Amino acid sequence: MASNAAAPFWRSAGMTYITYSNLCANLVRNCLKEPYKTEALSREKVHYSISKWVDGKPQKPSKYSLLCLYLF
Amino acid sequence: MAMAALRREGRRFATPLLSPNPANALRSSLVPYEEPVLSGVRCISTQVVRNRMKSVKNIQKITKAMKMVAASKLRAIQTRAENSRGLWQPFTALLGDTPSVDVKKNVIITISSDKGLCGGINSTSVKISRALHKLNSGPEKENKYVVLGEKAKAQLVRDSKKDIELIMTELQKNPLNYTQVSVIADDILKNVEFDALRIVYNKFQSVVSFLPTVSTILSPEVVEREAESGGKLGELDLYEVEGAETKGEVLQNLAEFQFSCVMFNAVLENATSEQGARMSAMDSSSRNAGDMLDRLTLTYNRTRQASITTELIEIISGASALEG
Repeated sequence: MASNAAAPFWRSAGMTYITYSNLCANLVRNCLKEPYKTEALSREKVHYSISKWVDGKPQKPSKYSLLCLYLF
Repeated sequence: MAMAALRREGRRFATPLLSPNPANALRSSLVPYEEPVLSGVRCISTQVVRNRMKSVKNIQKITKAMKMVAASKLRAIQTRAENSRGLWQPFTALLGDTPSVDVKKNVIITISSDKGLCGGINSTSVKISRALHKLNSGPEKENKYVVLGEKAKAQLVRDSKKDIELIMTELQKNPLNYTQVSVIADDILKNVEFDALRIVYNKFQSVVSFLPTVSTILSPEVVEREAESGGKLGELDLYEVEGAETKGEVLQNLAEFQFSCVMFNAVLENATSEQGARMSAMDSSSRNAGDMLDRLTLTYNRTRQASITTELIEIISGASALEG
């Protein structure tokens, strides 16, 4: 029931439900014991490049290459 | 005489491969003409054919290896794609998949591969995306593309430059996982305004058949509107919303999560189709290389035998001339 109270706060922080659920998933993964922890964390690698197009022209592309997202 | 004819025949075979001057071949049959002969070659050069055979053999080896790689990758990714189907099925049961709902802002998400040599799966998804674009276009309507993968980008940049909003590439550097796809989905949600997201991908059926599929995700406002008007989503009102949250909030969360789940499945299905298509493409290309090699071997042996026969005839006729 904690999420009920939390929902407006992460929404106003500019997060979507996806970011929120990813954060929660990562927290759960961090609760695992070794060696399962490293295995689970190394499985979730994020890498892609994204470029926004405005009026038929590509803007500067940016690359995402994060080993472990939202580690804190 | 026989030798000249044979030489011409050998040349006819060789001309498309190396002819330095195509006029030569014509002239040599009309007027006596001393052909430039490669050093160490007495009559018919089989060198060209042998080189060609070697290169075809090498190509066949490469395509066979690529087929093997695709087959092993396919097996790994196929199970993951099949497991991921369980993610979107509950959402479709709840929110439905209604491509016919008419909305103003359409965003077409075209999923393709980064690498080529995988048959027609990329052009199929591009074709379907263009058809969707045309279908949904009209006054006061907006259609935008979000492109995943190099190949669809190359095709869509050509004629729909103006409508492209986002392009994402290099998805498959690491094995696909949910976190990655959900971060991509998040990026799309943040950067694009939409009433309906239409994801176009190839659904994997078997190694040889892929169904081009469109999954539609409606924005929470549209879902609410449809549910209230009692249209296709009328049954949604039968569910009771628990907790302190309003229905709008719940719907927004659901729509976002639905989008990332459907995206995850779509990306996996498309990757599976890519490997399957690559496997069958490589299979047929190594078969074609084999056919080509057979034909080349036949010509090679025929020419070789012909030159042996000519030499024998020359020796025998020379000997009989001496005796006579």
